[in-house]
Amino acid sequence: MMKFLVSLFLGLSLMVTVAHAQNQPLRIEITEGVIEPLPFAVPNFVPDSGAASELADDLARVVAADLSGTGLFREIPASAYISQVTGFDDPIKFADWKAINAQALVTGAVNVSGNRVTVRFRVWDVFSDKEMEPGMQFSGTRDGWRRMAHKVADAVYSRITGEGGYFDSRVVYVSESGPKNQRRKRLAIMDYDGHNVQYLTDSSAIVLAPRFSPTGDRVLYTSYESGFPRIHVLDVGQVQRRVLESAEGTMSFAPRFSPDGQTVVYSLSQGGNTDLYTMNIASGQAQRLTSTPSIETAPSYSPDGQQIVFESDRSGTPQLYVMSASGGEAKRISFGQGRYGTPVWSPRGDLIAFTKQNKGRFHIGVMRTDGSEERLLTASFLDEGPSWSPNGRVIMFTRETRGENGRSSLYTVDISGRNLRPVRTPDGGSDPAWSPLQK
Amino acid sequence: MQTGTKISAIAHVTLVGWAFLGGAFRSEPLPFDVQDVSVISSEEFAALSAPVQTPEVAQQPDALQQPETPEVEVAVPEAPQPESEPEQQQPEPVVEPTPEPLPEPVVEVPDPQVSEDTAVLVQPDPEPAIDLNPPGKRPKPRPVERVAPQPVALPPPDAQPDEVETPPVVAEEGAEEPQPEQEQTAPEEATDQIVTEAEESDELAPLRSPRPPARRPSRPTQTAEQSTPQPASPSGVQDALAEALAGSQEDIPLGPPLTGGEKDGLRLAMSRCWNVGALSSEALQTTVIVAFSMQRDGKPDAGSIRMLDSSGGSASSAQQAYQAARRAIIRCGAKGYDLPAEKYGQWRDIEVTFNPERMRIK
Repeated sequence: MMKFLVSLFLGLSLMVTVAHAQNQPLRIEITEGVIEPLPFAVPNFVPDSGAASELADDLARVVAADLSGTGLFREIPASAYISQVTGFDDPIKFADWKAINAQALVTGAVNVSGNRVTVRFRVWDVFSDKEMEPGMQFSGTRDGWRRMAHKVADAVYSRITGEGGYFDSRVVYVSESGPKNQRRKRLAIMDYDGHNVQYLTDSSAIVLAPRFSPTGDRVLYTSYESGFPRIHVLDVGQVQRRVLESAEGTMSFAPRFSPDGQTVVYSLSQGGNTDLYTMNIASGQAQRLTSTPSIETAPSYSPDGQQIVFESDRSGTPQLYVMSASGGEAKRISFGQGRYGTPVWSPRGDLIAFTKQNKGRFHIGVMRTDGSEERLLTASFLDEGPSWSPNGRVIMFTRETRGENGRSSLYTVDISGRNLRPVRTPDGGSDPAWSPLQK
Repeated sequence: MQTGTKISAIAHVTLVGWAFLGGAFRSEPLPFDVQDVSVISSEEFAALSAPVQTPEVAQQPDALQQPETPEVEVAVPEAPQPESEPEQQQPEPVVEPTPEPLPEPVVEVPDPQVSEDTAVLVQPDPEPAIDLNPPGKRPKPRPVERVAPQPVALPPPDAQPDEVETPPVVAEEGAEEPQPEQEQTAPEEATDQIVTEAEESDELAPLRSPRPPARRPSRPTQTAEQSTPQPASPSGVQDALAEALAGSQEDIPLGPPLTGGEKDGLRLAMSRCWNVGALSSEALQTTVIVAFSMQRDGKPDAGSIRMLDSSGGSASSAQQAYQAARRAIIRCGAKGYDLPAEKYGQWRDIEVTFNPERMRIK
């Protein structure tokens, strides 16, 4: 009897094991893939009338250029298209787009009525045979067609990557012309891609380090107009400016807005010592944050406004420190070789971008807010002044070439270190500051 | 040697000996098991082994439910109001040998009054409309293609085909001699000419051929024969038999488990198409487990791909990571993965964990 029971048990166990194995799916794990631009197609948008034909083509080209410029996407040329999109509501022939390996497809239509332009668009996931979220439309004036294209690109970028875009944004920077020993500098503002450049000041005085307010309507900058560096606040829309109050014989520079736009943190040099201060813009009341014999400068708020990262040489060489926004003890976060400076907190709050000088070369790098996982993204004769894109994915900075006729220009780089590319400006440029996304 | 150790050794030897030899001294008869069986008739067996009957459906198909117009739930930001014309500010006079040109005031880019209106976008029809009703008369069954010297009319419905036409004979009540009953027979339907399909009148052919729907209709049309209710299974035993018979018809080769090389081949094939270049930083922190079924030819069934689980990110990032994984499965499986057909049962259902740990930005 016992043998029978044992045999029965073993038999049942075997059967259960076999049945279990038969019902179990095959399980595998993939830990390595490929990193390459995602192929996409943007056929020219469909014009509702002949008057919209040229604009429809231009809009589609700007959208494609925005997406391709990120380095995350690769546009499939129109010559490779198998089928054309002739109607905005026509069914999509997904097989034709799969055949050319287009993984995302953007279709759109443009309507022009007088000075009014309306753009409709859809984003298709080709390999799912369906649309990514419902279509949208934007309306505006004919003059603002580039902004509409940037907005479409932002929406497409967001739907594919899952994070916000940065195309409908502007950059304020210092436009530079002339040789190094007679360089003329003036503030300029442009679209993120270098279009629509306009100048905010003349070149009668040296201007430095412009910084956007959180809403993008004001700019802080440092001017040597009075002979000493002074901080100015400029209303971008009205081109009106005023000087922040400071005592005679002092120098104030390196200003930056707090996340709520009510306070400015800056460096004040008095009696040969430089410390950090904050000032309420409305009341003009200042508060001292640091009190050390060393040089503290280049402060930058964290996105929540609770902390400040800054540069200090209190340890003998310029390094990065983090402290509370109300002052107090600072904690050093940079410990690598070389000199660190111009730290900027990411809009996401997870990284700090900085300039590093080591062994005769300059680098733009990023690190965690505790100083860990430092990564250098660039290396050249002179790279400095990083500024974050609104979505925290791209960094714009200044690159200057060697020699008396060396030229300053603006570059962007992805935080992965890929996709390093120049920003086209009419003249040289330096000290870029990226605005938030426009409303 | 300790007493306890001795006792333990003796006990173990006894136990091992009993385990090996205990059964030899048993003389109990082998157990006699009785199993209950059910006796079914040949008609019941035929009914069970018959194909599964078409489910009962209504005579009139329900009206097609039109898809609802998608409501675009998009946050509609306020359209930026046109800003007033910028005031030109004169720069402060600067003493310079060569006067600088006046700075150009910022002419604010005329805000395009971009408004994110919810577009009333009509979804395009995925397929052209299908007219299930033929436009013309329903074609009659083609006549028998048989040439005969004399056309013969259709026999009466109950007549059996025969070369000799025989009238029906039924037993007449009250007759002196009962006549044997005789079934009616008639010659088969015949015609004296061949009418090909091309020579048929236009009325018989439909004007256009409706394209079959992309998917099998969920409620198939019911035929007259299929509408006849089938007797329900008399017992659960018959249901079990029918299920067992149906299951045995799939005939999926199980085969031995996949070797490491075969698994690596599949893993490598999928990883070639797993493109994380366009994923957000958060999506690169998200691990997703994706399950799907494979067809016998090694191609993934796109409709079966689904996300089982995710970890390390938000729902949005998980969705982005899942879409990248889905594209990888479909793209590299378009021509079929190289898997042994004799082991189809081993790889019919697959679960893949896409872990981007090594792909993160470092």
